[in-house]
Amino acid sequence: MKLLFQQIIKTLILGSLVLAASASRATAQDSSRLRLTSLDALAGKASETVDVNIDERLMHVAASALTSDDDSKEIKKLINGIKGIYVKSFEFEHENEYSAADVEDIRAQLRLPGWSKLVNVTSKKEGNVEVYVLFNGDTVGGLTILSTEPKELTVVNIVGPVDLQKLAEFEGQFGIPDLGLESPKPKTKKED
Amino acid sequence: MKDDYLWDKSGEPDPEVQQLEEILGTLRYQPRPLEIPDDLIVQRRRNYFPLLAIAATFVIALLAAGLWYRAASQKSAAPLEAQVEQPAPAPTVQQRPEDKTLATENHGPSPLPRVPPRKTQPANSVAFNGKRHNRASAPVLTAAQEKEAEEAKAQLLMALRVASEKLNLVQRKTQGAGGPNQIRNQHKIG
Repeated sequence: MKLLFQQIIKTLILGSLVLAASASRATAQDSSRLRLTSLDALAGKASETVDVNIDERLMHVAASALTSDDDSKEIKKLINGIKGIYVKSFEFEHENEYSAADVEDIRAQLRLPGWSKLVNVTSKKEGNVEVYVLFNGDTVGGLTILSTEPKELTVVNIVGPVDLQKLAEFEGQFGIPDLGLESPKPKTKKED
Repeated sequence: MKDDYLWDKSGEPDPEVQQLEEILGTLRYQPRPLEIPDDLIVQRRRNYFPLLAIAATFVIALLAAGLWYRAASQKSAAPLEAQVEQPAPAPTVQQRPEDKTLATENHGPSPLPRVPPRKTQPANSVAFNGKRHNRASAPVLTAAQEKEAEEAKAQLLMALRVASEKLNLVQRKTQGAGGPNQIRNQHKIG
């Protein structure tokens, strides 16, 4: 009886450890997904809105549409392991049509444990760009780019491992034109 | 008179000693079998701790299994909810008539594809495990699935492009006015 009891206790401890490990992994994956619904109210103010929600299923669906040429292979490599990509971008006619409070919910999520601010670029004219990375041990489990410009607000949330180098190389390649949306704008007389 | 009688009962006994023997002899040990009364109730103290521990183990294991199953079912059902109840919004460009996007001016057709709302799949195409029958079992995509795949691909490319643009902007800001795609010079992560 005593042996049986000890065996049950050992099994229970082992099962609890496995459960805790799985739970922590699931929690890490969930924490890399940001809640972007707080930004939905800005859609009414924005002159242009981009809203992309690609969950894991849609990632598979999109991958199935990729052909077998070299470009598509590179894209498949890039998105391999990514569980979702979520983009919200708002472009406004005038400056200060959104406030820091509108972004505070996003920042609060990025202050949670696990997220690390990788890069923070500050510019009075062109706004700030912050790059956050969620580490799962030594690997990247998520990426968030928060771009707050005077007339534009963009949040990109990638759930899952992502190669920053390949992602940066994406623009202007694979048949996707380099739109240069972020290139320095020509100065006007008012700015001078 | 000898006192041997007191020692080993030899010799002539003393009457007083004999009288004392007879009086005290009634109290001498008399062997007899053990008799247990029928109405005797034996109360044993049972140790319930092992049974309670085993029961608690099973209860905890059941709770853990229930939580595991619930988490797993929620995780697998999430994409299904997004598809059926809240169709994943296609990349939408809400543009006022008087506005002109940079892309439209510079590159002709809008780079942000106007994708019509995705049609929800019929309910009978959804298996109980949250995966679609037709996609899993039928290798040949139907027209609707091909359309959905193309839309998803367009969304994916646009999302990747936006992310790439922002990363390149960061790279340009941090490394001066270098050309695009120089983030390779930074620390590679992932």
